[in-house]
Amino acid sequence: MAKAATAAAAAPLHSGLPDEIAIWEILVRLPPKSLLRCRAVCRAWRSATSARDFLLAHHARQPALPLACGLEDDGGSCYYLAAQHQPVARLAKAFYLCASCDGLLLLSKRNQLSICNPATRQYAPLPASSAFIPLGMYRHRPTGEYRILLYKEIGLPATDGQDACHIFALGSVQPPRSIGSLQEAEQLRFSGVPVPFRGNLHWHLNKHWYLQKYWYLPENHESRSNIIIVFDTTAERFREMCAPVVPDHHKLFEMDGMLGMSSFNNTWPIIDVWMMQEQDYESEVWTLKYRVELSNADLLLVQFGQFVDYWNVVVASCDGAVLVLVKFGKSILQFDIDGKLVSFHHKDLLVTQHRLKQTLVPHTFFPRLDGHSVNAWPFI
Amino acid sequence: MATREAGKKMIMLKSPDGMEFEVEEAVAMESQTIRKMIEDDCADTAILIPNINSKILSRVIEYCNKHVPTTGATGAAASDTVAPAALAEDLKIWDAEFIKVNRATRFNLIQAASYLNIKGLLDLTSQTTIDTISDNSLEEIRSFLSTKNDYLPEEEQTIRRENQWAFQ
Repeated sequence: MAKAATAAAAAPLHSGLPDEIAIWEILVRLPPKSLLRCRAVCRAWRSATSARDFLLAHHARQPALPLACGLEDDGGSCYYLAAQHQPVARLAKAFYLCASCDGLLLLSKRNQLSICNPATRQYAPLPASSAFIPLGMYRHRPTGEYRILLYKEIGLPATDGQDACHIFALGSVQPPRSIGSLQEAEQLRFSGVPVPFRGNLHWHLNKHWYLQKYWYLPENHESRSNIIIVFDTTAERFREMCAPVVPDHHKLFEMDGMLGMSSFNNTWPIIDVWMMQEQDYESEVWTLKYRVELSNADLLLVQFGQFVDYWNVVVASCDGAVLVLVKFGKSILQFDIDGKLVSFHHKDLLVTQHRLKQTLVPHTFFPRLDGHSVNAWPFI
Repeated sequence: MATREAGKKMIMLKSPDGMEFEVEEAVAMESQTIRKMIEDDCADTAILIPNINSKILSRVIEYCNKHVPTTGATGAAASDTVAPAALAEDLKIWDAEFIKVNRATRFNLIQAASYLNIKGLLDLTSQTTIDTISDNSLEEIRSFLSTKNDYLPEEEQTIRRENQWAFQ
């Protein structure tokens, strides 16, 4: 008996896994839904996986995957993660997805903003905010608060410098506070989803914006077309940085600790991917990292239908591999870096530029918001 | 410290059941735990690897041998002739063969990879366990991991209700 015990201590041939390894090496890597199920396996797992430090480690290991959303026949909406066929959430209404940050989604419906966590199935409407349009959501590191950058439209045109940006902290009882105006603030609304990188939000100014909005190009527009607007989420101030000189149709994204920009050059079906290494962030040096040529593109057009438009192209990284999502007809096709078709999703979905990095970390602002609910409407 | 072929530094690893393994330093340094010991100069003589028997340790070394980056004199020649994509594909096939082991061995490899801090080996060995847990019922998970259910039936029901959507 004693001999057996010594041998076990030296080389434990446990038929299972020690709890510590099971929890910190296995459970910490599970998708949130599987992790919630595992809380019903035994007491030790439940208490370990409910601790805040475990949940933070779990969140840190979740991939940040592109979100796709679709409409259901009954008027509801559903959200999918790229490369997954099960939705992460089904909602009873068709919300507009305004922003995504650390697993939280900022939704809007008839100018009413709300916040939800699809993994914990928590939902709460935000205080009346109809005068404001959300530009982005971020975690303010000095306070740990989640904040929303809002734009308040005062007058047109945008160049009069009157458009003010405001900030609202989730869970705060204070109304949004102004942080002054930015000439391009209104333009940010039309410049796509801001890309979080190194604690800043980034928008690439879309030079077609003036055309869409006013049907004319201001004289100085060329000089303003190659700029990335940066919002420093710690100082809560704007600045500008250089973008690579790329043809039309370009989009910013974040991948593997690098800022990226994908662009279509005019020779369909080629997608260029420019990257900025973290160490080049200060010097603003971009390099052409990949040139992805979609294989058999003509055949895909026949099989799946027309290529939709450039706004339905998303470049992301999943398990260390680059993936390119392109919408053809009603299907989302997933390509690898060599342009080879890896998989496709037949359901009619919209590929968004938002990423979701799921979280089960509890947030104190949810219970503080009026109308907060868990496992209830609008979740189905 | 022993040296062999073209001045390659060798390291001696010892398992608790008394076996000794001589491996190249670069191979041993695939383990972040051993790398730290070497960098902190705690590795003058043989390094004793506690809790990992010789059978498992030899498999871990086999993995590290295969995955050590091919740089240096021989490595440069290899990467000149073999495309990186082909090399990666070859490694994937090798990994798939490597992981064809029984459950007990896999669990021992997970523990070894965790203790020795070898990220690639940990990812490889834990993935099948993660898939099993994701795809199976609670009873199957318990029996797979030899975990005992210590809930009262009504307690388990409450927890299931709290997380109802996760069971759909």
